[in-house]
Amino acid sequence: MNEFYDKLKKATVGIAGLGGLGSTVAVALARTAIGNLIIADFDTIEESNLNRQHYFLNQIGEYKTDAMIENLKQINPQVKVKGYKQKLTAGNIPEIFAEVDVIAECFDKAEQKKMLVETVLTKMERVVVVTVSGLAGYGRSNEIVTSRISNRLIVIGDGKSGTDLNLPLTAGRVWLAASHQANAVVEILVDEIIK
Amino acid sequence: MNVLKINGTEKTFDSELPDTLAALLEQLSVNAETVVAEVDGRIIERSGFDKTELHSGQAIELVRFVPGG
Repeated sequence: MNEFYDKLKKATVGIAGLGGLGSTVAVALARTAIGNLIIADFDTIEESNLNRQHYFLNQIGEYKTDAMIENLKQINPQVKVKGYKQKLTAGNIPEIFAEVDVIAECFDKAEQKKMLVETVLTKMERVVVVTVSGLAGYGRSNEIVTSRISNRLIVIGDGKSGTDLNLPLTAGRVWLAASHQANAVVEILVDEIIK
Repeated sequence: MNVLKINGTEKTFDSELPDTLAALLEQLSVNAETVVAEVDGRIIERSGFDKTELHSGQAIELVRFVPGG
């Protein structure tokens, strides 16, 4: 058991985007006592986010990054959190997430998801990326799956349920995908020797 | 025989194989803006889609992204 917690304590995990997926992954990983988190989002909190994102009424208007640092401190002050409030691009991702072992892709837009995965796989040797495609709607819990595409690429979701189909984003289904992500991250950190 | 393994499933082409990855995506109606492609385990950047020639027997992974997060 000690070895399990040691590996998690030494690890650094990147979270790109702090919406429904990212805020949930951050909370799960802080509770799991991951040693270091690097979180990034350029956006501020809106009231409509509270149906699935881990923020509070009195945080509306704050940067998601600032609010999440505050919330994670309340959950587990032992976790070291580094936050970035800028838009992530193919140019700055390798720099911002230079120290990570694993990165969780938690964006909303399909083009951004692709950009991050492509950037990690082509420019960041050894970093594993855990991405999500297809989490909108409700029900159909068991259609959300974790697939290992290749050594450094894990894809979660049902591969089809996008918000482009006019499906709502519901807390339960978004959190299912985010829980798959957090669970995959822990598995990678504990079962694979990275670096 | 002209066969490609696409996302783990073998697909046989009756006529010629699409000559590039870009042509394959077009034939499958996959939007190049929202897909990550690997050919025989190697990631291909979008700028290389039309330069990547395809050959029978290759394994291709296409990860299509839909919005939501």
